[in-house]
Amino acid sequence: MAPTRTIKNKHAAPKAGGSSGGKGPRKSSDGGISKPKGKSGPKAKLPATQIKGRPNLPGLDKNKKKKQRVYTEKELGLPELNMITPVGVTKPRGKKKGKVFVDDKESMTTILALVQADKDGQIESKMMRARQMEEIREARRAEADKKEAERSARLEDTKDSLRRKRKRATGAAATAEEEENVKAVAATGTKAAKAKKKKVSFAAE
Amino acid sequence: MRPLTDEEMKTVLDKLANYMSDLKSLIAPLEDGDRYVFRLNHSRVYYVKLSIANLATSISRDALLSLGTCLGKVTKTGKFRLHITALPIIAAGARHKIWVKDNGAQPFLYGSNVVKAHVGRWSEDCPEHQGCVVYSMADVPLGFGVTARSTAEARRLDPTGIVCFRQSDCGEYLRDEDTLFAG
Repeated sequence: MAPTRTIKNKHAAPKAGGSSGGKGPRKSSDGGISKPKGKSGPKAKLPATQIKGRPNLPGLDKNKKKKQRVYTEKELGLPELNMITPVGVTKPRGKKKGKVFVDDKESMTTILALVQADKDGQIESKMMRARQMEEIREARRAEADKKEAERSARLEDTKDSLRRKRKRATGAAATAEEEENVKAVAATGTKAAKAKKKKVSFAAE
Repeated sequence: MRPLTDEEMKTVLDKLANYMSDLKSLIAPLEDGDRYVFRLNHSRVYYVKLSIANLATSISRDALLSLGTCLGKVTKTGKFRLHITALPIIAAGARHKIWVKDNGAQPFLYGSNVVKAHVGRWSEDCPEHQGCVVYSMADVPLGFGVTARSTAEARRLDPTGIVCFRQSDCGEYLRDEDTLFAG
């Protein structure tokens, strides 16, 4: 039953305090109403601090306002941000607002001629550059081919020289054999080589 | 609908000059005393007869869907993008041309680049990264693109090497049907 009483008291407390000040302190001495009183304590103190702070605040604000100064980026000497501003988006300052249309034939022809000349020049220079590059490439290729041919010729030469050397080395042994062959041929004649063929014949009885 | 400004006109003509050799024919006076002009509506640039453009002033901007030939679109950054609808005008005065064989026409119309194996013939003395119009062997313009190699370099290229980067092709009439004329 005790908690129900406290709830009733809580609701009743402000009414009671507002209506009659004499009864309030008496009720506050009870244990149930001690909590709201404790809360109301600091609330009462707060205005006092605000009052203390109020005369100082305007003075502080003034000091701050004097100190605060907004510097522009140019004054500070900061480098500008590297932002992308597309050509079509940027609008020059100081110019008259609104668009200037190109509709008359003369201005169209002048713009057309300018653009045409500009583009022709670009394409011509591009083609010239391409031709030059092509010439350089051609010259390089010719040089590379020449070098390749020289290298292959040198390789052939070395191959030939190696072959000759081999012939010379084997030449000493080979000459002795050749001499013997020549002697045999001389003895038997060139037809003697044919006589070497094996023949089978029945022995005559 | 309004005429183009100085800057807009420069960007449009600059883009057209990549593909066309003679720009003066664009604004040459016609036999009936009329001439062609450029008009801008909903960031799209139209190439239209002056008489028709004058008639179109009676239609409000929002209600005007299209007039004359749509050349392309001015982007939000101020650049100009050519549409496939500009092909007949570009093809009439093409600077460089590439003829594609029959076996290469379909891949191109489906949105792929032109490879060397598909090229029937090409115009001589064409530098790289230069606008060119792509034709079929029957001289029907199929689209336009930018050359990947110069003519001399392209000769040495292997058959699968890209000769021309596609920019726009007639297949876009079907593929980009929803966004090509509006939106």
